[in-house]
Amino acid sequence: MSNPYPHISRWIVSSDCLGATLKGVQECGQGVREAGAFWLGVREEVSRIVAVVLPCGKGIQAGPGSWKVGPEVFGVITRWAKPLGLSLLAVAHTHLHGIPARLSRADREYSVQVPGVLAVVIGDGGSEEDHTKWGWYVYESEEYRNIIPEELSREIEIGSGKVEVLSADADGFWS
Amino acid sequence: MNGELNQEGAQALPHAQCSESIDYEITVEYLPASHPFHKSYEGNETVATVRADAMTFFHVSDHRDRDTHQFFLEFDGRRLTDMAETLRQLLGRRHGAKFNLVEQITPGAIRNE
Repeated sequence: MSNPYPHISRWIVSSDCLGATLKGVQECGQGVREAGAFWLGVREEVSRIVAVVLPCGKGIQAGPGSWKVGPEVFGVITRWAKPLGLSLLAVAHTHLHGIPARLSRADREYSVQVPGVLAVVIGDGGSEEDHTKWGWYVYESEEYRNIIPEELSREIEIGSGKVEVLSADADGFWS
Repeated sequence: MNGELNQEGAQALPHAQCSESIDYEITVEYLPASHPFHKSYEGNETVATVRADAMTFFHVSDHRDRDTHQFFLEFDGRRLTDMAETLRQLLGRRHGAKFNLVEQITPGAIRNE
């Protein structure tokens, strides 16, 4: 049986991706509820994020302490991404002001759990612009491993290049 | 070919081959995975069987703690909730179908720690 999760040794995340994510989560969360983004790209040894999808609205439940994307939204994103050969490489979401930018127990247990997927936690409701102060985690050996700041530049390359940015809800996409 | 086009425009089997032994070529996509799950099934196999096989392939499982994390098959934008439904009942004369494996997270009293 072939492995549906080829190993990823390095992720390339453009500053365009970081900026689009911050703008999107700030607009959706408004600093009063959590918000997030799906980062997509071709899954390979060195994987580049090429699309940022911002789930917001119908099918998303968000509050001050949680952010949940319903199955209908997963379906909408899957139907768009798969014909393009894209896979979900990372789930980024915010924690509000005063809550550490670290994965909570709920984040660890109820997010995507497949090898090589990244979980990124943006502090201060999405206002923290310094990505080195975000929480970076990778799922491996059946748990999320924290990518500590000393390892961050080795595993995550902040590069250049444009990303496609879309918003999505249970009914579809919009730019 | 003396067949019919199904609702998605795919080629259906010729009438003479629409028998009890019809095979259904099933593909299941899962957003985080790099490639899909493929398998042929007979018409009397159920949605539950396909879901279980796909979840095994993608190394995912339902779990319940303070919350429920459950996986569903989706077809034509519709979540398949009748696990006993057979592929013949679901697909009729289509001889192939693409499903998506999607996740549902049912909210509980979740707080960040």
